[in-house]
Amino acid sequence: MQFNEAVKKSIKNFMAGNMPEALTEQKEFLMYGPDYFDELEAEILDEPTDSTAAREEEESDEV
Amino acid sequence: MKFEGPIPGENFLTDTKNYPWHRPPDLVDYDETVSYMLSKIDEPEQIELVFAMLGIDAKVTTVVSTLLLQAISKGKFTIDMAMLIAGPLARYIEIQAKNAGVKYDMGLENKDRIVLTPTLLKASLGILEQPEEESLEIMAMREEAGPMEPEQEQIMGLMSQPPEGAVAEDDEQAAMLGQTEEEVVQDSVQSEEEAA
Repeated sequence: MQFNEAVKKSIKNFMAGNMPEALTEQKEFLMYGPDYFDELEAEILDEPTDSTAAREEEESDEV
Repeated sequence: MKFEGPIPGENFLTDTKNYPWHRPPDLVDYDETVSYMLSKIDEPEQIELVFAMLGIDAKVTTVVSTLLLQAISKGKFTIDMAMLIAGPLARYIEIQAKNAGVKYDMGLENKDRIVLTPTLLKASLGILEQPEEESLEIMAMREEAGPMEPEQEQIMGLMSQPPEGAVAEDDEQAAMLGQTEEEVVQDSVQSEEEAA
């Protein structure tokens, strides 16, 4: 596998919301996970992303 | 056999200054590395470069690869770490591009790939079945137009057999028999004289 292909595969996995298992096992709290970037996107673009919108809906239902 | 080659890991122990990626990396923590790269991208020159690359239809994956290779070549982190932070970097570039209104293509889908459909599969296996709706319409139109006249066979030369029903005209036949107009006139004059 070439470097570019490996990078593409890594990006695809991250976009799907997956994180490397070994990394998450090694460290309990990872700051720069998929959630961080969802929140950042919502903050910068002033519009909720799909995942945060779904979470907010769940919270509002609970209340 | 070669005994002069380096033993694995020797590059990390040697005192001589070699390539940066031969030395221990500067960053080994995931969060630290991502933070470093995000701050690096936020630099005006770097973000301009990123947007310029996206502007010339470079894909986000290509931009990320370029940024990672730059950092690896400077010895900032290892290739393994580069694989780990490729996703966050791509996501960050995507967000920045959205924010700046720059067109971007993630480059994750393979556009050159031929989509396998049942028709394509049948065609490749040579088991095309009944004609579909479109071909039925075409057949109906052909029936309406009536039977097509068969194309006449092309005469290929002087000695070739003429098509059936093709008969030369009288003048042409006379010319073929050597009966020119003068001869015909003379014949008619003679017949008149005899009658007189």
